[in-house]
Amino acid sequence: MKTLFLIFALQVAFLAGAGERKPACCVTNRETASAVNSPAFTDKSLYQLDSVWNSADGGKLKLAELKGKPQVVTMFFARCELACPVLVHDVKRIEAALPSELRGKVGFVLVSFDSERDTPEVLRSYRERQELNAATWTLLQGKPDDVLELGALLGIKFKKDAQGQFAHSNVITVLDPAGEIVYQLNGLNLDVAPAISAIQKTVN
Amino acid sequence: MIGLALTTVAGQGTGLAELAPPPGMALVPSGRYEPLFRGEKDPKEVAVEAFLLDVAPVTNAEYLEFVKANPKWRRSEVKRLFADENYLKSWADDLDFGAANRSNAPVVHVSWFAAKAYCAWKGKRLPTTAEWEYAAAASPSRADGGKDTQFKQQILAWYAQPSVSNLPPVASNAANFFGVHDLHGLVWEWVADFNTAMVTGDARGDTGLERKLFCGSGSEGTNDRENYPAYMRYAFRSSLKAAYTVHNLGFRGAKDL
Repeated sequence: MKTLFLIFALQVAFLAGAGERKPACCVTNRETASAVNSPAFTDKSLYQLDSVWNSADGGKLKLAELKGKPQVVTMFFARCELACPVLVHDVKRIEAALPSELRGKVGFVLVSFDSERDTPEVLRSYRERQELNAATWTLLQGKPDDVLELGALLGIKFKKDAQGQFAHSNVITVLDPAGEIVYQLNGLNLDVAPAISAIQKTVN
Repeated sequence: MIGLALTTVAGQGTGLAELAPPPGMALVPSGRYEPLFRGEKDPKEVAVEAFLLDVAPVTNAEYLEFVKANPKWRRSEVKRLFADENYLKSWADDLDFGAANRSNAPVVHVSWFAAKAYCAWKGKRLPTTAEWEYAAAASPSRADGGKDTQFKQQILAWYAQPSVSNLPPVASNAANFFGVHDLHGLVWEWVADFNTAMVTGDARGDTGLERKLFCGSGSEGTNDRENYPAYMRYAFRSSLKAAYTVHNLGFRGAKDL
């Protein structure tokens, strides 16, 4: 029921073309305050993008709805057998390494390269399989052009091969609450401490 | 000159000859393109559907119309997310590209986002890497310029020269077999999927790719070690970021048929 409400609220927000307004369910007091104080996006905010994404919850969202808390953004695809499991594990290591006062206050976003196959259902079962907390993890499917655009903004290169697999760079990006890139981890199996301190700086 | 080029293209037996391309665009017939870099299991060639391509890069005068109609793309208005601080740097002001003789020169210092927005405004899109490379493989006399030694040498000669600060007008040089000008010899050009060029550093020898940074066909290797200009274009594209603006990087529009 709660899920249904969430979907409904997101759709209403989407249909209403809500840029800054957010569904009541997803807004913390802190977010409301910051949205009121700074209605416009900062110059380098990724939240200026107009693209609309399908989430694993079955709803649609604009990236601007992620505003208000730090977000750790990673591009992946569910069928990836090589780097992605390690990449997602790295993001989980970031989550596990968060100091207690930041638990639950940082969002994790996985955006799929595979617009065709990573439907919300596939993403939902991926989220379950990987035991990702639905409250803090957002998994997104987008249109190919929008995926290309987000990849371009994050400096991520990717290419589909004949087998439908994606070659891609492995990058974990920390966005501050306004949606600007503050830190990027390039590669696999790296020390996550710099990412943690980057996240801490955005909220202090 | 452009009119002549269009006639040549329309006269080809593509089966689409009766569809005259819109003014300023050439019909590039379907064909095959051999990617310079590909995965081990990827096919050697990819099919390119027939498409329309601007016969010349977008000029300063054309771009001025765009920023007049779209204030958010003016130099003083543009968001840093979409274009770096050198956006339209060579222009004198928001609505002034400087000396009048620059009107027909290609617009440069434009980001990928700006190029994309311009194309969308025109009802067009950026060409893909495959489309661009396929069109650019044509020499003035044949579609498959790779077999034209003189053509290859001319391109190499251009790539060996530093770019000039005062860019000449577009379409100053002869059109290629498809009726398209300036794919070589004037400026680099944005493509829609510039961030699919999986080249990092010197990948000419072995794959040279930073394997740790990539998943899947990190084994992607080059198939034509002789083709330095194509390699340079891939390397250049792979060094770009979407908000970058560069003094010798412009763009042109494409369109589906």
